[in-house]
Amino acid sequence: MPAPVQRRILLAHIDEPGYTSDIDCYLRHGGYGVMKRAIARQPEELIDEVKKSGLRGRGGAGFSCGLKWTLVDRKSGKPVYLVVNADESEPGTFKDRHLIHQDPHQLIEGIMITCWANNVRQAYIYIRGEFPQGARILERAIQEAREHRFVGRNILGTAYSCDVFVHRGAGAYICGEETGLIESLEGKRPYPRIKPPYFPAVLGLYQCPTIVNNVETICHVKHIADMGGDAFARIGTPNNTGTRIYCVSGHVRRPGYYEFEVGRITLGQLLYEVCGGPRPGRTFKAVIPGGSSAKVLKFGERFRVKLREGSMAEWSVEDIPLDFDYLSACGTMGGSGGVIVMDDSVNMVEALANINAFYAHESCGQCTPCREGSLWMRKITTRMVHGGARAQDGELLQSVADQIAGRTVCAFGEACAWPTQSFVQKFGDEFRQYAETKKTAKPVTPLV
Amino acid sequence: MTTHLPAKHAETGGGRDLKKADEAALLDLLETLEHKHGFIPREISEELTRVIEVRLERLRRIQGKLDSTIRRDVKVHVARWREEEGNLIMILHAIQNQHGYVPREVAMELARELGVKLARIYEVITFYHYFRLQPPGAHSLTVCNGTACYLKGSADLLNESRSRLGVSEGQTTADRQFQLEVVRCIGCCGMAPAVVVDGQTHGRVKTSDIPGLIEAAKKQESKK
Repeated sequence: MPAPVQRRILLAHIDEPGYTSDIDCYLRHGGYGVMKRAIARQPEELIDEVKKSGLRGRGGAGFSCGLKWTLVDRKSGKPVYLVVNADESEPGTFKDRHLIHQDPHQLIEGIMITCWANNVRQAYIYIRGEFPQGARILERAIQEAREHRFVGRNILGTAYSCDVFVHRGAGAYICGEETGLIESLEGKRPYPRIKPPYFPAVLGLYQCPTIVNNVETICHVKHIADMGGDAFARIGTPNNTGTRIYCVSGHVRRPGYYEFEVGRITLGQLLYEVCGGPRPGRTFKAVIPGGSSAKVLKFGERFRVKLREGSMAEWSVEDIPLDFDYLSACGTMGGSGGVIVMDDSVNMVEALANINAFYAHESCGQCTPCREGSLWMRKITTRMVHGGARAQDGELLQSVADQIAGRTVCAFGEACAWPTQSFVQKFGDEFRQYAETKKTAKPVTPLV
Repeated sequence: MTTHLPAKHAETGGGRDLKKADEAALLDLLETLEHKHGFIPREISEELTRVIEVRLERLRRIQGKLDSTIRRDVKVHVARWREEEGNLIMILHAIQNQHGYVPREVAMELARELGVKLARIYEVITFYHYFRLQPPGAHSLTVCNGTACYLKGSADLLNESRSRLGVSEGQTTADRQFQLEVVRCIGCCGMAPAVVVDGQTHGRVKTSDIPGLIEAAKKQESKK
C-alpha cells in the first residue's frame, strides 16, 4: 500500500488556526451552502444519494445508514424523530468530542439535511453528561443557526419547520445504545428495549418512528449531499466507503485523531507511520482496534483472510486494512474507531481488570446474565490483581463470558464478554503465569 | 463556683454562628466541669439552653424561607421544561446546577409539582452517576480511569490524589474543600492520562503534578 495521506473531510477545518465554532466563521468557509441546495431538492433524492454513498454508521455497529433511513415507517401518520447520538462513552473514542467542540455547525448542517430528507420536524442531540462544555457550544450554535433561519420555523423562508434540542445525559454508558438512549430521552432509566418489536425505525421515541445516528455519520451526510452519493462511494474501499476518524490512544508516540479513507490504511501504517511507532525501547504487544469492547489483537498473530477479489491472504496484525469487513474477518471489529495500543510494559491481567471494572460499573442491570456476569468477571480479575490469582482463573473467566454473550437484550452483553474472551484466549499464558508470580506482589489499584 | 462561659460563647446568643472550634471548646469545657463536680452547674446549663434556643429559632426561620424558595425554584425549572416530554433529566440538571446536588426536599417538591411518585424521581437520580445526593466539596478533582488513561498510569494519579487529599473516590474532605471522583473515559484519550480539576481538563498529567493542581485550585478560591 502507498504511504498513507490523511484525507480530511470531516476534520477539514478542525485545528486550523483561526477557525472558531462561531457561525460567522462557518459561513465564511461556505457553511450552510450545501443545506441551501439540499432544501431545493426532493427529500427522496437525498435519501437515494445516501443509499448510493454506501455510508455505514460510525457509532460502532457499522450498519448501513441508507438502509436505516429506508426502514423508517412513514405510513403510520406519526411524526418521525431524529436523534443524534452524541453519547460518546466508549473508552478510547474521542472523535465526536472534537467534531462538536470545534465544528458544531458542520453537525447542525448535517442534522438539518437529514431532517429535510426524512421529513423530521423535531431533532434531538443526546450529548453525554460529561460534556457540559460541548452542550453549551451546541446550544449556542443552534441559537445562532436559529437567528439565521437555518433552524426553527420557516427555514430559509420555506414552509418547512424543524427544531433541534440538546438533551444532556447524566453519566451512563448504556445511553449510547440506541433504545436505551430513547428511554433516557423520555426521562427514564435507560433500560434498552427488546428488538423486535421496538425497532427505533418503527417504535422509537414516544413510540414514533425514530432515526438514531452517530455524530460522525450525520456529519458525513452533509458531505454526501455536497459531493453526491456516487462520488462519496468512490472514496474508501467497496462496501466501506468514505473517510473515517481513527482515534489513537495508549502507547504510541503521537496519539491523536486522524482521518483516512476507510480501508486505505493498514493498522501497521497507522501505528508506525502516522503515530510514530512505540515509545523508545518498547515494542507493541496488543491493540484494540475499535473501542474497548472490540476484541483485542495480539502482535505476532497470523490471520488467513479471504480477499474481496476471492483469493486468500495471510496477514499479520500490521497488515490488516482498517475497514469494517476485514476487521470482522480477523475476529474483531471496526467499532467506534478508537484504537487503543498497548506495549510490552502492559500486564494483560491488569488491563483486563480495568476494562472489567468499567463494564461491571456500567451494566444497566436489566438482564441477569450481564448484570451478574459482568460483576463476577470484575470480582475475579480484582481478586487476581490483589494477589489471589489461581491457575484456573482464565478458564473461569472464559466460562462466565461465554454465558453472557448472546443472552441479553442489547449488545452490551457482547461488549463486556468480548474483551474477556479475547484476552484470555490470546494471552492465556499470562493469566496462568500471573497466578504463579504475582501472589505476593504489591496490590495494584486499577479498579473503580 | 465562679466558672463562667468564655466571653465568645456568651456572645453567641447575639446571632453569631457557633463555629466548629467553638463547639469543640464547649464540649471540652463541659467535660472538665463534669469531671470536676460530677455534674454540670445549673447556671451553665441554663445559659447553654438559652444559646441553643436562639440558634434553633434562627434555623427555623431559615428553613421557612428555604421552603418557599425551593417551591419557587422548582416551579421555575419545571416551567422551563414542561413543554418537553421526558423532561425529568433536564430538570434534574437544572436543580443540580443550582444546588450542586439534588436535596431531598427539592426532590419531594419536584414530585409534587410534576405529579409523579417520589420513587420515580429517585429511580432516575440513583441510576445516573452524574446526579449527587450529597452536597459537593468546594472543589473537585476527577481522575479519568478509562482504558487509555489507565494504560498511561491513571492508577498512580488516583493513588497520589487519594493520599494528598486523604479521601477515597466518591468522598469529600472533612473541611468540604475537595471531593475526589473517578470518571470512566471523558474522551481525552489522545492526551491520556487526564484529570479534571473544577471542570478544567488537564492532559498528560504526571503524578508530580497532582499537588500543584490541588494547590492551584485552592488559590483560585482565596482570590475570589
